Amino acid sequence: MSKTTSRPQSAAQGDEVLVDVTDLKKFYGGEGFFAGPPVKAVNGVDFTIKRGETLGLVGESGCGKSTLGRTLLQLETPTEGSITFDGTDVTTLSGSDLKEWRRNAQMVFQDPESSLNDRMTVGEIIREPLDAHDWKTKQERRERVLDLLSAVGLRDEHYFRYPHQFSGGQRQRVGIARALALEPEFLVLDEPVSALDVSVQAKIISLLEDLQEEFNLTYLFIAHDLSVVRHICDRVAVMYLGKIMELGETEELFQDPSNPYTKSLISAIPRPDPTDTTRRITLPGTPPSPRDAPEGCPFATRCPAKIRPEEYTHLDEDVWDGIERFREVIRERSRMDLGVTGLARRGVGRFSRFDDLEEAVSDLFEGVDVPEEVRVHIEQAVEYAKKGYPSKAREYLYEEFSSVCDREKPKFYETSGTARYSYCHRHANEYEDVDPVISRRTSDE
Amino acid sequence: MSETTSKSIREDLTQRDELSLYTRIANNPRPFFKWAVPMLVLIAVEFPTYAGVAFGMLDAVVIGVTGLLDAAIGLVSSGLSQTIRDAQYAVVGVLRDAGGFVDGLPTLFSREVIPNQGYQTGPNGPWEGTFLGLEPAYAWALRATLIFAYALFTAYWVFRGWLVYRDHYREADWTPTDDIVDNLSNHQWGKFGIFVLILFLTMAVFGSALGPTTVEQNIQSPYSERINYFNEDTGEVDQVFPGDANFNSKSKGSAEFNVGPMSYDDYGRFHPFGTLTNGRDLFTFMMGGARITMIVSALAIGGAALIAAVFSMFSAYYSGRVDLTILTTADGVVSIPRLLLLILVSAVFANHWIGNVLNGGFLLAIIFAFTTWPFLWRAVRGPALQVAQEEWILAAKSYGQQPRTIMRKHMFPYIVGYLLVYASMSTGGIIIGLAALSFLGNGLGISPPTPAWGRAISMGQDYVSGPSWHISLLPGLMIVLLVTGLNALGDGIRDAIDPEAGGSAEGEEAAAGGGG
Amino acid sequence: MSSETHADPTAGDTEPILTVENLQTAFYTDRETIRAVDSISFDVKRGETVGIVGESGSGKSVTARSIMGLIDSPGRIMPGSSIKFQGQELTELSDAEYRSVRGSGIGMVFQDPQQSLNPVYTVGNQIRESLKINRGITGEEAVEEATDLLEAVGIPDAKRRLDEYPHQFSGGMRQRAVIAMMLACDPDFLICDEPTTALDVTIQAQILDLLKDLQEERNLSILFITHDMGVIADIADRVNVMYAGQIVEQAPVEELFANPKHPYTRALIDSIPGEHSRKEGLETIEGEVPTPNEPADHCRFAPRCPKAFDACENVPPQHVSVSDEHDHTAACLLYPEDLTESHRVEKHLSLANDDTEGDT
Repeated sequence: MSKTTSRPQSAAQGDEVLVDVTDLKKFYGGEGFFAGPPVKAVNGVDFTIKRGETLGLVGESGCGKSTLGRTLLQLETPTEGSITFDGTDVTTLSGSDLKEWRRNAQMVFQDPESSLNDRMTVGEIIREPLDAHDWKTKQERRERVLDLLSAVGLRDEHYFRYPHQFSGGQRQRVGIARALALEPEFLVLDEPVSALDVSVQAKIISLLEDLQEEFNLTYLFIAHDLSVVRHICDRVAVMYLGKIMELGETEELFQDPSNPYTKSLISAIPRPDPTDTTRRITLPGTPPSPRDAPEGCPFATRCPAKIRPEEYTHLDEDVWDGIERFREVIRERSRMDLGVTGLARRGVGRFSRFDDLEEAVSDLFEGVDVPEEVRVHIEQAVEYAKKGYPSKAREYLYEEFSSVCDREKPKFYETSGTARYSYCHRHANEYEDVDPVISRRTSDE
Repeated sequence: MSETTSKSIREDLTQRDELSLYTRIANNPRPFFKWAVPMLVLIAVEFPTYAGVAFGMLDAVVIGVTGLLDAAIGLVSSGLSQTIRDAQYAVVGVLRDAGGFVDGLPTLFSREVIPNQGYQTGPNGPWEGTFLGLEPAYAWALRATLIFAYALFTAYWVFRGWLVYRDHYREADWTPTDDIVDNLSNHQWGKFGIFVLILFLTMAVFGSALGPTTVEQNIQSPYSERINYFNEDTGEVDQVFPGDANFNSKSKGSAEFNVGPMSYDDYGRFHPFGTLTNGRDLFTFMMGGARITMIVSALAIGGAALIAAVFSMFSAYYSGRVDLTILTTADGVVSIPRLLLLILVSAVFANHWIGNVLNGGFLLAIIFAFTTWPFLWRAVRGPALQVAQEEWILAAKSYGQQPRTIMRKHMFPYIVGYLLVYASMSTGGIIIGLAALSFLGNGLGISPPTPAWGRAISMGQDYVSGPSWHISLLPGLMIVLLVTGLNALGDGIRDAIDPEAGGSAEGEEAAAGGGG
Repeated sequence: MSSETHADPTAGDTEPILTVENLQTAFYTDRETIRAVDSISFDVKRGETVGIVGESGSGKSVTARSIMGLIDSPGRIMPGSSIKFQGQELTELSDAEYRSVRGSGIGMVFQDPQQSLNPVYTVGNQIRESLKINRGITGEEAVEEATDLLEAVGIPDAKRRLDEYPHQFSGGMRQRAVIAMMLACDPDFLICDEPTTALDVTIQAQILDLLKDLQEERNLSILFITHDMGVIADIADRVNVMYAGQIVEQAPVEELFANPKHPYTRALIDSIPGEHSRKEGLETIEGEVPTPNEPADHCRFAPRCPKAFDACENVPPQHVSVSDEHDHTAACLLYPEDLTESHRVEKHLSLANDDTEGDT
């Protein structure tokens, strides 16, 4: 349990690795004198994809999964890190080398409405990659397009139709055919079925499975729908706020997730079974902004299994939750722009914009018996904020209530023999593991 | 679809090198010939007119382009610029010879076939020299009506040609363009715009045949050839120079010096719009002005639209610094007062021969293009940015498509509609601008004696409230009609490409959102 | 919250708050008439959640809009349709009367919260406006009430949030704000049209919990529309399955998932990917959802149905009971199971004839 590593390794070392991502980072903005802090869309991820496998990449919107997919295909320039594809570092490619490499790696997009140019016929759309690469002769290109059409379950006469004349599922088939045109080895599937109805979705998934077998494709399957991922993927990486939280074999990960985030995410999927009585972990709040990510574990602000500081371990769950929510309130207020008048009023000691904080506090701790040792700190923080110094209040609370989760970045712990990695402090020997903490919480409710 | 069609599609696509229209026509020639034979006849009867227009345009383009090259290269090497000038003379010589030749060929609706200029042999006597002895007014009206009818029918037949192609020879049984065309053909206001545009294009192309007399005879060299007329004083048929006749047919705002619309002067000449202050025929003047106005505005708006299209796609595709640079440039251009620029450039090129191309119109077109593109660029930058966000652009990047091709294939088709809308609406401004320059005179605008609409308005401004009101009012109304028509066309195109803005496509929306 | 808290379906004695009978909504275009909702009937009782589940094009959203009186030209609610809300016939109301019903009796939550929030006013402003119009509360009292409402929908630091604009809210928060706005009208009945579809699963879980809590506190009735069988299983007490403008199956939620009777419902449940499908492969339904532009003189699912037989093409299936214990009906010629094929067809035919006679 305590075996740690800086980066997760591939399961069976014998399998051939096709894509190897090391410490990949992609930040937006943050350059220049007036720019604020950068948006850390992808904040240092490591993983490998083996030839022929399907790696799922799941996470909520804004977690950076789409950016990661686009960066992998060099549609975005990575800020840091390397991407090795079949032995070559593609981040260093440019010009004609890059164009040549692009044949190997293609993408299927989420929105079948937006991913096809609807002023071109389906034939032209699928042929375009071939044209761009001057692939063989014109007749052969057209023949290839017809073969692709039948490979994705469309007919020859669709060649001269326009995307408008197709349903969402058919349009997605066209998108898949286009991605396959250059015979790539690797496909990034960016939410390929989330815009489709269940029955159509099932057909596209089956098609993707068949194509993988037929053409020996390697997939990176990006999705927010966990049940689809569970169906199609061999391994799954769970992303949160630009970081991979857990990585492992699909079925194992779904049945026995290690990371608190994965646990919460999986328990939140509504199951098509009304008799299901498993308790749901409902996470509080929303993910923090990727501009202002926590310095420790990215999930620290919402984690149901967060490690508490030594002196507060005895507190009731309710009190502790209240403290966490209060910290979030203060955090948000510290991000607010006070404006010139606000600053001026603060200067003369007449700042009043945050006078409603007490009300918020009484609401947060409604019906909870707050012990004196906690109350003094809360009141002190409220004082700071009311005087117009919410950042000071935020620091004060950080000093008082922060734990290892807030302060230090976790490591990857291998949590099972089958190369499963989880990014959480709880896996370290000195702390109680995730499971008992979470089950205690859910049974309390 | 049946097995056989499916097979033939495959054969079509894979056996042949090019999917030629020719083979498709060869397989089913009937509809094509049913369309093409009448089309050929339509062209043949007026072929010399079209050829004349084409040669004239080529002529202007050759002079314009070589002139610009000359001006640019002349800075570096005077020898080279001499070579360019020689080449220019040679090409223009050939073009003018050819133009002269086709000018001599007969056309169906020419003034030779349906002449309207003639003279009475006695008081209330029969007319000599007019078509079937008709009164000049009727002969002219007949010819003008026939020409407009011919032009409208020809325009329809060209459109019909597209329909034949769409129904019989196109591989796709539906394209997005079909919807746009269908929407436009259901749009009354837009159809009015098309009608007005065809009307004015007809004037530009058939201008010389439309006027009761010619620019040459009536305006440019009125003392080269005498005309016959019935002299009421002597009771005989006399001869007179058109210039002298003009002198006695002035419209000067008083009852005795006025030849109003739809009336004859003392020399038996019919004036549909009356005469100008110098006695020249206003209608002929307007027809002569139509061609130069249409050519200059088309050149100006075409140039502006081209620059705007390229820049807007650059802005949208590269964004960031490229966008900022273009933005700064555009703002710089906008901040130059257009009139000042025109006066400056006109002064600089006053004695340069480029100032004579298209009677000064070429230079005007360049200046108008230069000052108009920022507005068009701003208008289409928004749509361009929107298209640049579409996933198909990202998809094209993902398989390594060239930026040039991405812009041409994936962005241009989406902004061209907006470009048409704003271009047709801005053309009104250019036409008014051209007229305003001619109105100001003083070496600005189209150089006299070439007719320009603004000059007619300018001449008549003292007589607006008298019997000679027609001099300013009728040209003014024509400009209003053309500008309104172009705006109508712009509205029509906008509603056609974006029906949701108009609200005519609710049915489809409902159909699409039947559940959801 | 687990399934044990679902309302007991046998407690059906309570008067329905909403009764929809023979609702037909059609859209007229140049080319065709689209029967987006074609003769559907269902009811919602006080304090229960009724789900409508179906794919896009099934007419579920049009159903919601028809109840809310939001059908615009070229759409029309056909004569003979009846929507009774607390005993009041809604189809006969004028626009003004409808507005007052929307203001106080029925609230609606859309998939896209942007649709209900005006981006140029603060959230507080919009909730106060709603309070003023519908309940006549103004001034300091309105601020207090608005704060309470935001707290009630689980938005922390509510007082400050009142002064923020919709774009400063995250997607989930925005949906909560819309729910707060709806609660400001103090409705008895809430229509939720795919309220969680645009949200992430963890946020979806929060909203579903919130709706259940609110329902319990305020005895709300909810009509919940979604395409997600998982969400339906979680929140609904009774379910209507819609296909091409018609309800094909009606049942209490446990019964529906335990014994789906209509072939479409079965196919729908089988095509959900997940742990089971991995081994067995995904079931798919051949063909596409048809556009309901023909009169319903046949079963619209027949062309895609694995169990279709000749009569399915000519006989309009009627709702027949398919369970002895539960209030479970399906519109399919395969039922009632105990009859022979020809008897079943006859029964459906005679039921269909009764229906049309009743109409005229």
